[in-house]
Amino acid sequence: MTSANPARLAKKQEKLLKQKADELPRSMRPTKVVKITTIVVLVFALIYFLFPIYWAIIASTKSPSQLVSSNGLWFAVDLKKIPQAVATNYSILLGWTHSQFWHWVFNSLIYSGVSALIGTVVSVMAGYGTAKFQFRGRGVVMTIAMSALLMPSALMTIPQYSIFNALHLSNTMLAVIIPCSVSPFGFFLGRVYAQSSVPTELLEAARIDGAGEARIFFTIVLRILAPAMVTIFLFLFVATWNNFLLPLMMLSSENLFPVTLGLYGLVSLPVFTDRGALMMGSLLGVLPVIILFFCLQRFWQAGLTAGSVKE
Amino acid sequence: MAAMAAVAALSMALAGCGSSGGSGASKGGDTKSGGKVELTYLHRLPDKQGMTMVKDTVARWNKDHPNIQVKATKFNGSPGDLIKKLETDVKAGNAPDLAQVGYAELPEVYTKGIVEDVTAEAGKYSKDFAEGPSKLMSVDGKVFGLPQDTGPMVYYYNKTEFDKLGIKVPTTAEEFIESAKKAAAQGKYIMTYQPDGAGMAFSALSGASSPWYKIKDGKWVVNVDTPGSKATADFYQQLLDAKAMNLTPSTDPSFAGAFHDGSIIGSIDAAWNAPIMMDWIGDAGKGQWRVTQIGDWFKNGEKTGPNGGSGVAAIKGTKHKAEAMEFLDWFNTQVPDLTSQGLIVAASTEKAKTPQSWTEFFGGQDVMAEFAKANANMGSFNYMPGFSAVSSAVGEAADKAGKGQAKVSDAFDAAQKTSLATLKDYGLPIAKD
Amino acid sequence: MSHRTAAEAGAQKKGRSEIVKRNERTGWAFMMPFCILFAIVFIIPIAYAVYMSFFQQVASGGGAYGGGEMINKFVGLENFRFTVTSAAFWTGIGRVLIYTVIQVPVMIIAALSLAMLLDSFIVKHVTPYRLGYFLPYAIPGAIAAIIWVFLYNDQFSPIVKGLAAIGIHVNFFAPNALIASMANITTWTFTGYNMLIFLAALQAIPRDLYEAARIDGANGFQIAMRIKLPNVRGAALLAMLLSIIGSIQLFNEPQVMQTVDKGISNSYTPMMMAMNTSRGILTPKGDGPASAIAIVMALIAGVLAALYAYIERKVNES
Repeated sequence: MTSANPARLAKKQEKLLKQKADELPRSMRPTKVVKITTIVVLVFALIYFLFPIYWAIIASTKSPSQLVSSNGLWFAVDLKKIPQAVATNYSILLGWTHSQFWHWVFNSLIYSGVSALIGTVVSVMAGYGTAKFQFRGRGVVMTIAMSALLMPSALMTIPQYSIFNALHLSNTMLAVIIPCSVSPFGFFLGRVYAQSSVPTELLEAARIDGAGEARIFFTIVLRILAPAMVTIFLFLFVATWNNFLLPLMMLSSENLFPVTLGLYGLVSLPVFTDRGALMMGSLLGVLPVIILFFCLQRFWQAGLTAGSVKE
Repeated sequence: MAAMAAVAALSMALAGCGSSGGSGASKGGDTKSGGKVELTYLHRLPDKQGMTMVKDTVARWNKDHPNIQVKATKFNGSPGDLIKKLETDVKAGNAPDLAQVGYAELPEVYTKGIVEDVTAEAGKYSKDFAEGPSKLMSVDGKVFGLPQDTGPMVYYYNKTEFDKLGIKVPTTAEEFIESAKKAAAQGKYIMTYQPDGAGMAFSALSGASSPWYKIKDGKWVVNVDTPGSKATADFYQQLLDAKAMNLTPSTDPSFAGAFHDGSIIGSIDAAWNAPIMMDWIGDAGKGQWRVTQIGDWFKNGEKTGPNGGSGVAAIKGTKHKAEAMEFLDWFNTQVPDLTSQGLIVAASTEKAKTPQSWTEFFGGQDVMAEFAKANANMGSFNYMPGFSAVSSAVGEAADKAGKGQAKVSDAFDAAQKTSLATLKDYGLPIAKD
Repeated sequence: MSHRTAAEAGAQKKGRSEIVKRNERTGWAFMMPFCILFAIVFIIPIAYAVYMSFFQQVASGGGAYGGGEMINKFVGLENFRFTVTSAAFWTGIGRVLIYTVIQVPVMIIAALSLAMLLDSFIVKHVTPYRLGYFLPYAIPGAIAAIIWVFLYNDQFSPIVKGLAAIGIHVNFFAPNALIASMANITTWTFTGYNMLIFLAALQAIPRDLYEAARIDGANGFQIAMRIKLPNVRGAALLAMLLSIIGSIQLFNEPQVMQTVDKGISNSYTPMMMAMNTSRGILTPKGDGPASAIAIVMALIAGVLAALYAYIERKVNES
């Protein structure tokens, strides 16, 4: 199990799933009506969620005056002229980010990737610790963590800035990474998942085999919790990506800026009109999330495998 | 797992090098090494494509002044965010030497202890700037920096449409209202009512004749109820009642749309609005628009008032006041560079050239000259600490008036009430009537 | 015999206490990294906010401008007195309560239903759906704001125009539609996010449970209700609690709508009131009053969350 390659496992699992779906007993196979209804509902929901993004894609090719004069559902110019329109907004985008757009995207990747990684491991450790071990102070820690969720985080940016100033960490990458890697939400999510999907008997069995707690956690528990971890990772990644208030306060060197800060800088200008270019900037910023989503895909299934293999 | 570990290792390595690079670029800026002075300057100029970037302008200075090296950084947040950051930085002792501060914000940042008195160092440069904006950079008899750009209110109108309607730019309030009604009958508006900008606009227009705030024996006298205020409230109320104005907030896309489709053919706005309007209108109204001075519509005797505009102030704790002002005088008089940023400069050293695209848009008019005229024509308006609270209260009341739930004069009552409450909250003395 | 039993019991007791000790050590070891980071990022700033809530910033010196210096003045419970007697604050609380009651159940039920459908094996390729539903969450708030301002606009919105073409005239900014318009933005942003929480929980359910149910002759719907639903209860409770807290802290959506409708005041929701107080746009201004507003708001959210958790448990027990 420890040596299994996740990609191969995923493939195997996919096959297994397909077989399972095909092998469903006749009584359980979805009827045509159920199947069609389901697909209609799912597609309808998809349109609801993607329509505004479609609008943004169209808008990203428009000039300020075209935005308020042309049909929102279609391009303002001929299809042939689209590349040119895209190029115009792209150069506006690069202009206002001082040609550092891609550098800032890269910074964002570091901020989001590192803080999500730290945050996920730390959250799952804490979640597993409270779910599977009885210890004094556990209730208190959980209560405090829950209470912390009640305080609006936006209001804590300034005190956090003061603290990082005092630690001489402001205007460093750590000033963004550290605050973004703590997530009470991730902790609770980790706990919920650990409670429901890590069987205590399995841990006992591993202990009887003489495995240490750290080994058990890193080789068994993390594998079982993979879908949960991927979920937490994704949430933290996106939350960090979209956070601009924290970097706005913490960072003053342009070479450290995340891309959202650059976009926010444009929105907050009194003379801001380039909404099309802004849309383009934000859509380009969504691309890494889409890529990430596809990369994480197999881990969702890998975790699924671990769940069914464990017996 | 292996993949994740690899990602982790890579990210860690990157983060390591990134953060050490970051901390290396410390920003205190007060380091003096071998007679060399390093200054930091935090601005929020647009710095967009096609403009002369601030860092390029600064690079020119740095080349000629090896002993005064300046590092300019753009702040990507709102003016309010910037004040908040400066406040925290001053307490922590790592604030920049220079930062952009709006005229309306200067009293507030002074009261909050964010700016440094540079009366001695800045005095000799005041001749390089227009008198009105220069005054706005001083509070309580002290000078805190040098002015950069101004936002005099002017009247923009579509001459072609005006001619079609057979109307002229009105000279009196009565004439204005008549023309507005005439235009409205044809579905055109020669005036806009922008609740979101009302706080700044109302104070500027009514303050052009006499200011709201006076200081008597070190105490505040708040009197919003001036003839100018009454005239302004009355002017807008009549236009509202006659349904002769466009009522969308300027941040609503419909506002831009109304400029584009030609239903708005006249509007009082700040000078810095010109490039924005050009973006909205696009080629549709090119060559048809003009800029002119505000008429005697608000008992203002043709004086105008400030809407926005800012200077650069020395920030508390700077150790190089003289060098900072020397650089600032140079920077704020780089007229072509600043004009490229869309600014109406406060410098009087050089006549600002109207950009070619502006001339084309405004039918060959020398728009910059018109703005300079407005600059010279500004009434003396002063702000009080915490004016942002007043301005926002006026905006909310103005919105109610626009929706017919209140009167425009209520917005001025709100200004009076909020001004007093805010001064009290700041712990500042108020004169008893 | 009795002797031996006592010895055995002693050994057992010793063993148990060792297990307890080991549990304690291991538990804390797993908690430690989180606790350290949590203290820096949350505890200290919250403690600072609580401390600040007893102060106001006032000018220190004389003169009209207070001498250009401000000091923190201890005001006791004055900031709290101001908060709990502020009509604007309670109106805001009322608004977010209505908002919570309308928006949260709709979103959670939608998210749960979508997650169940995607986990039902009825559709084979779930990735496009999963990704599509999640994408709105990846759009930064400031940009989503601009998108929705256009989509709600009566002149340019394809939605408004499309509905008008089939005879339905909507005004997203009508006073009685405002809350629904905001609720829609929240739902659009967070449904996919909640769906992923549920989906991860569903996929963590051991598949052999389904096998057993199938052998018992349960159909897909019955499996969903009897096995899946109880197994996502933990995740659902967490999602509900977070959504309730999130709704009480409602900020982004009204801020978005405010850009085009100044009728949404600066104290429309308690969180807007806190932020604008902190920025000095509302009077009294500053971190002191803002902290007090945030603390009272947090207490109310806490009580509501606890109440929800309590009721949920009661309902499940019965």
